[in-house]
Amino acid sequence: MKLSDIDVAVIGSGPAGMAASIRAKEEGAEHVLILERQEQLGGLLHQCVHNGFGLFYFEQDLTGPEYGHRFAEKVKDLGIQVLLETMVTQISPDRQITAVNNHEGVLRLKPKSIVLAMGCRERSRGQLNVPGTRPAGIFTAGTAQRFVNVEGWIPGRKVVILGSGDIGMIMARRLTLEGVEVKAVVEILPYIGGLTRNEVQCLHDFHIPLLLEHTVTEIHGQQRLEAVTIARVNKDKKPVNGTERMIECDTLLLSVGLIPENELSRMAGVALDPLTGGPVVDQWRETNVSGIFAGGNVVHVHDLVDEVSWEAEIAGASAARFAKKEETEKEKKMLKPGRNIRYVVPQSISAQHDVTLYARVKDMEENVTLKVGDIFSKSLRVVKPGEMLKIDLSPSQLQQLKDDPVELSIEGSKRR
Amino acid sequence: MAQMETEVLIIGGGVLGAAVARELSRYKGDVLLVEKEADFGWGSTKTNMCIVCQGGDTLEFRPEYHRSKLVWDSIPLMEPLCQELDVPFKKVGELALIRNNEELSKFQKLKSRAEKLGLTGHQFIDQDSLRQMEPNITREAIGALHDPHIAIVDPVRLTIGLIENASQNGVKVMTETEILRISREANQFEVETNRGPVKCRFIVNAAGTSVDKIARLVNSDDFVLYPIRGYVGILDKNLGGLIKHEIHMRPDAPGQMNILTPSVHGNLFFGTTMQPALRGDCSVTGRIAEIGLQNVRKIFPDLSEKDIIHSFAGFLMFRNWEVGWHECVVQASQKVPRFISICIGYPGVSAAPAAAREVTELLRREGLRLETNERFIPIRKAPPVFNELPEEQQKKLIAKDSRYGHVVCRCETVSEGEIVEAIRHGATTLDGIKFRTRAGMGRCQGGFCTPRVVKILARELGLSEEKITKKGRESRLLLYKSKDLLEAQL
Repeated sequence: MKLSDIDVAVIGSGPAGMAASIRAKEEGAEHVLILERQEQLGGLLHQCVHNGFGLFYFEQDLTGPEYGHRFAEKVKDLGIQVLLETMVTQISPDRQITAVNNHEGVLRLKPKSIVLAMGCRERSRGQLNVPGTRPAGIFTAGTAQRFVNVEGWIPGRKVVILGSGDIGMIMARRLTLEGVEVKAVVEILPYIGGLTRNEVQCLHDFHIPLLLEHTVTEIHGQQRLEAVTIARVNKDKKPVNGTERMIECDTLLLSVGLIPENELSRMAGVALDPLTGGPVVDQWRETNVSGIFAGGNVVHVHDLVDEVSWEAEIAGASAARFAKKEETEKEKKMLKPGRNIRYVVPQSISAQHDVTLYARVKDMEENVTLKVGDIFSKSLRVVKPGEMLKIDLSPSQLQQLKDDPVELSIEGSKRR
Repeated sequence: MAQMETEVLIIGGGVLGAAVARELSRYKGDVLLVEKEADFGWGSTKTNMCIVCQGGDTLEFRPEYHRSKLVWDSIPLMEPLCQELDVPFKKVGELALIRNNEELSKFQKLKSRAEKLGLTGHQFIDQDSLRQMEPNITREAIGALHDPHIAIVDPVRLTIGLIENASQNGVKVMTETEILRISREANQFEVETNRGPVKCRFIVNAAGTSVDKIARLVNSDDFVLYPIRGYVGILDKNLGGLIKHEIHMRPDAPGQMNILTPSVHGNLFFGTTMQPALRGDCSVTGRIAEIGLQNVRKIFPDLSEKDIIHSFAGFLMFRNWEVGWHECVVQASQKVPRFISICIGYPGVSAAPAAAREVTELLRREGLRLETNERFIPIRKAPPVFNELPEEQQKKLIAKDSRYGHVVCRCETVSEGEIVEAIRHGATTLDGIKFRTRAGMGRCQGGFCTPRVVKILARELGLSEEKITKKGRESRLLLYKSKDLLEAQL
């Protein structure tokens, strides 16, 4: 297998990695290589057997594996090289990749450009610091999803889910369909963490209790989980005395947030944005390290797979152009989050080309105006942290930009 | 199960029991070690900060207490022991921070007292040098006292090293073996376990937090122990390089401690609060976690909550709350012959090498014949740790066994080869794999590798995945097969 003269190397083959590699190839990169640690292409799509994938990208309602399959076929058709069961252990700032697998052993690669597409991981119990004992039966929602949908095992029969992220809500429905009693989905915030469509289709339609402004305050059981104590929280998210109650359960799933997986990015010297947890990128999804690009959930956690693929395509195309030594626009204006904006991606734009900005709010608000500097404003009935804002700007709008940095903000209305 | 017979029965496979087993394997004679958990070192051995001669032990050396002598005597033994057993050991030194003149004079007194007792090497560090040595710690420190003796180890790997070396030299070991009753016959003990009766002449009671309970089984109640719970947090490896020494700050409130230290695996640990608690209640309360974070921020102000990947509580058994950790139990029972109890309380790992020698001496005095085992081999080779090997050796290893090229735990880069090897060495559970190989110990806390490790365990042990447990006994991970519950409802 030829592993020299690589134009673009893509780390990861989930919805981001596959889309980036396809786009890189289409943009004229000759030798595109995907490095994937699992046994097949697709990343986490395999375990996402529910529907709702591709509604925008393909304008069809697909399951995760179906969505992945379409990209995987294209990867094959385009002759993109794939190394499976290959773990990248290091990337250096001069774009040298070290990887390990069981057929080639330890590999050293020197591609002309790199796309980071490692996706994200789930926050664990350790990071949450949920008090109590350490029994078996506590899983992140994604780990449980793998057990149920890929391995064919059901963790337990009485389940409490902490956090209302999308995977948690989807697992609430999935487990109910398996005959499991999902006793409650417990969310510390006054609103859900995931998409409204999942709240409706996964919780309400299956009569699964959703307890907002509640949290798990203690875990019980020495060997296997026996119960959790939950309590209502005040507006500082602290448990309110006297509201505790115990729920008997053998399983606790955690769906309390996703963290972009950027250990390799760090090694490569890629600067990370503390607000997103992902690399600071420009409009072309190039990081501060020349020739290293990033797209998808490694940059920031998206709500929809379609957006992951689209963003990664920008990175793939840019990486191909870099490999061909094509110049990209270097003039940049910085973007910065203003009132009630948690983050904005990309963190800088060229102001010469069409651009789509992605942003997330800090808190839920109703009847507000979304503003980008003084060139864009839009009224919104409601904004929620669980639903990403997307703003398309044209060069004619961008020409009028005076400020640098440009501030994104949510104005008007009282906070809920 | 058939009646088992042994000359010496060691109860408890923590670091102390393991150290005694290894020490006894230098001599001829049958030794059996039983551990109630599914693997070794799962009690206090695994729930501490992995520091050897921790928290100013050497500085606050009190010759009047036996425990101090054991710690001191162990200092020169620990490093060669770790070398023989092929387990990590790193001398990092301690910096005890000084924030004001009051603390300065306290440390001056301690230092001169330690020197009078013959323990040298402590040095005062001024503010500028401190900044150079540890640029990331609080600006409040006006200096520090440097203690060169402090080192870090991996206590579970040390324990497994001791157990494996003892086994190599003839000691028998059994896990998931719990003591139910002990009766005394004329010249021996009849010990009833959940896995059958054991006859033995000598008992070494190294049962950790149960040491007094075991002693009461033979009506040897000449000591009382009080469980004290401590809390430790683990920080992401990304911060690993930011602190190089074990940093100690004098606590601002009683019952607390404030320590931040690197681990041999590149994480940082911080320890705080010690308080009386119900035995075995290893739960971490929200309040303790909060105090822990507040305290460690006094040392390392930039620390974010998000940097904590895990936290745990562990137990120390204090002999006497008044004199705190200065007293320990290493004694032959005054009432029951041939029954030795050992419990250091704090710090068991640091004191283990000398304590094991002392237990051996106590056994001799109780009548055990110590005849040198000429075939004793002190060297034990640890299974390969892929991630720590130079590239050339990694290549060789994969060429020999391709499973070393299959990374299962991505956070800690643990390969399938290492997991299979750990199972061959006796791991039977998810936690066993975790403590032996570090798979699942990283920042995702097993989110990614758990299903994969379960699969490998099932395959290698020839069991269904349903039977795989987190930590033995009733801690099964997967309770039903897909569609089981639906069929049950029909």
